[in-house]
Amino acid sequence: MSRSTVFQFRARDSIFHRADPLTKFAWMLTVSLLAFGAYIAWIQIAITVMVLATALILARITVREILQGTWPFLFACTSFFVIQTLTLPGTTEIFRILGKPIYVESADYALASALRIYTIILASLVFVRSTDPRELAIALVTQMKIPYRIAYAFFIALRIIPTIEEEIKIIRSAQAVRGVVRQRGMTGRIREAKRYAMPLLVGALRRASTMVMSMEARGFGAYPQRTFVEAPHMGFGAQVACGAMLLAVVGWYTALAVGVVHSFYVFAP
Amino acid sequence: MSEILEDGALGRAVPFTGNAEDAVSGPHSDPGGTSSAIVDLTDITYTYEGETSPVINGVSLRVEPGEFVLILGPSGCGKSTLLNVLNGTIPHTLRGELGGHAVVCGKSVPDTKVTNFATEVGMVFQDPEAQIINTRVRDEVCFGLENLCRPADEIMARQAEALAYVGLPDAGDLSIFDMSGGQKQRVSIAAVLAARPRLLVLDEPTANLDPAGMAEVFAVLHRLNREFGTTIIMVEHRVDELADRVTRVIMMDRGEVVFDGKPRAAFARRREGHSEEAETIATSAWFPQVSEFALELATAAGIAVAPDVMPLNVTEAVAFAEGVMARGLVQATAKPAAPESAAPGEKLLSIRDLTFGYTRERPILKNVSLELETRSIVALLGQNGSGKTTLARALIGINPVERGTVYLGDRDISDLGPREISAEIGYVFQNPDHQFVTDQIDEEVAYGLKVRGYAEDFIARRVDEVLDIVDLARYRHRSPFNLSLGERRRLSVATMLVLEPRLLVLDEPTIGQDHERAQHLMRLMDRLRERYGTTILMITHDVRLVAEWADRAIALRGGGIAFDGKPEALFAQADLLKESALLPPPIFEVSKALAKTHPDRIAGPTLSIPDLIRSMIA
Repeated sequence: MSRSTVFQFRARDSIFHRADPLTKFAWMLTVSLLAFGAYIAWIQIAITVMVLATALILARITVREILQGTWPFLFACTSFFVIQTLTLPGTTEIFRILGKPIYVESADYALASALRIYTIILASLVFVRSTDPRELAIALVTQMKIPYRIAYAFFIALRIIPTIEEEIKIIRSAQAVRGVVRQRGMTGRIREAKRYAMPLLVGALRRASTMVMSMEARGFGAYPQRTFVEAPHMGFGAQVACGAMLLAVVGWYTALAVGVVHSFYVFAP
Repeated sequence: MSEILEDGALGRAVPFTGNAEDAVSGPHSDPGGTSSAIVDLTDITYTYEGETSPVINGVSLRVEPGEFVLILGPSGCGKSTLLNVLNGTIPHTLRGELGGHAVVCGKSVPDTKVTNFATEVGMVFQDPEAQIINTRVRDEVCFGLENLCRPADEIMARQAEALAYVGLPDAGDLSIFDMSGGQKQRVSIAAVLAARPRLLVLDEPTANLDPAGMAEVFAVLHRLNREFGTTIIMVEHRVDELADRVTRVIMMDRGEVVFDGKPRAAFARRREGHSEEAETIATSAWFPQVSEFALELATAAGIAVAPDVMPLNVTEAVAFAEGVMARGLVQATAKPAAPESAAPGEKLLSIRDLTFGYTRERPILKNVSLELETRSIVALLGQNGSGKTTLARALIGINPVERGTVYLGDRDISDLGPREISAEIGYVFQNPDHQFVTDQIDEEVAYGLKVRGYAEDFIARRVDEVLDIVDLARYRHRSPFNLSLGERRRLSVATMLVLEPRLLVLDEPTIGQDHERAQHLMRLMDRLRERYGTTILMITHDVRLVAEWADRAIALRGGGIAFDGKPEALFAQADLLKESALLPPPIFEVSKALAKTHPDRIAGPTLSIPDLIRSMIA
């Protein structure tokens, strides 16, 4: 009956799916840090292409799935690009739209800003689609030595998100049948959220209560430690990859700091 | 306790009946062994934190190893609360005041943590989605043993045996989200079986399942009890398939045990109970249909049914009927004849070659065509995932349909806005809470009229009228969330009813409700049909409800219509029922068997107990 949520783990056979969760987490962090540092369009284009290639080839996520998962962000980023291009000041004019000059500098900066946001969203999608939240929680316990109760709280929060999303959809449909029209604007959205809140809260509390009872009944929390069968393991190759990513981030920020990264304008006439 | 996997013979050598040496030692065990009972409760009273009245009051219960106990009672009678005492969830997780003496598996409940019952008591809840923690089957089954720090190789062996036991030996790598409801519930059972509990406690484990899923779960439980002597205590409303499998029945009412004995004795006499709304109801509301038939037949024959001959399954009911027929019937049945179905009304809704899916590659509905008329009760049946809800949602515009596929009268539904559609088609969701949009009951009922701009005095009049119909006028200033489930469902119906819809869709009206509540709702639906000519389309797995109330049954299979006709005709098609994961109501099977042996007196199978008895008399 329901559509599957796009921002949700889907089991698949791919290099990225097989990689250990912490390496993937490190990859997502690296991409985000690299993207944050750059206000230069060509570099952002390079990072975006790299993330896109990872998604398509290493994680075997289809173009359709990428579009399904990121279209609102794609729309927002495109709008952001257009608005910034039209409003930011610059010196080198490329062309005019309705008599308004469009500058190379503003277009380049706008593209870098828009791509930065989109790249981070895309990297998050790749990470979430290819990482079983349970494996991530186990990796946090076994490799990062985080207490298992905290790691499981984190895992269950991730595990519940799709269920809550699904429930919001059902509530929206159920209330539409009552004649409730979707609200626009900030006030409307707040009013809408208030209407959803009560049924959502009642359902969430009921589910959480059952989940707690189910976990306790199966001995969760009985001991300070617990066994993990099939715990993910960071192999030598993954360790090398993590080291390389760390070097890349350090090198990138050092290069930015000393000013050795030079730019050319993507939109240069 | 013997070791597992003896001679590699999984099924033969797996003992699921106790694990004293594996148990997490509780600090307050009862090593003296003065009691052989698995459960020993004396004068238990429990009051939830913040409440003043006890939910269970003076309950004493002793359950011996190997018993299969079914607990029955109206909603709100304290059944689930009692189950929560059995592994210490009460009083350790759900706090409150617990009085009396409670010992389970030799451990004092108030003094033993819930986690210390993990290898003794396995708990399975109603909603598989809420109790499953992990996303992969193997991880879920390993979860409990991992918590108990068992070695990894032992955990892997035990999860394999538990999965094999519930009939899912190759499912370890599957995603739980891709499984059917019945499979998910079997995974939940495997997850507790892996710890080899001595006592299995289940709270309405089949409430969300289709008949095939229910049969899967009951078959597993039956085998556990018979072959391995696992003690089972279960709350369940679907008694038809359980009555001859349990060894003991306990009936509860208003927090007290009102019957405790053998199943035949339980169903041999009608008693009275009380609903959550304090109305008097007959305990026969949750009797197996074959027992109801025997009681009716005995009344018609002027005889009493001895508790030791009360039938619990179709074969026994047929033998009982044969015996009564041999003695001759002396008086007509006391129950009035069921009214004939109303004549079909005018055309209401047409669906023409409707194909729908959330993605183009995977259509859920395929070329569905059907017509609905006014003044009828139509049941929409089919396996979980067969497209019932998707179809119903297409009718109210939640699932957008192509032009030219759904017509409301002569109007194409794709030309109508949500408010225009909802003025003519009401939809009562499975969970009534999802539909509430205000903080007060009368405002809730008035909402649909207000957003459509009706005058204040008209709204006030209509609200009063509708609240009277659904019997909620006395609560009009309360919050909808303060009502009982049955009342919330009636309120949900009222919010639709106020607009006088021509079609009212009920999504699984009996889930989480006892038989009496479901009957109450259906009586209300029948009144709507009579009063407004409303057509009721109910999505359901409850074949007894279909048999009792529906004029027409539509069965979906794989997104297409597999059957459209009279319920009697549907239940006569054994292959179709099997493929659609449906089971015929017991009375249909009884009448079918009797018609074979007495073709001169019984013309054919029927869905009504009074009809069958009448034909036997004639």
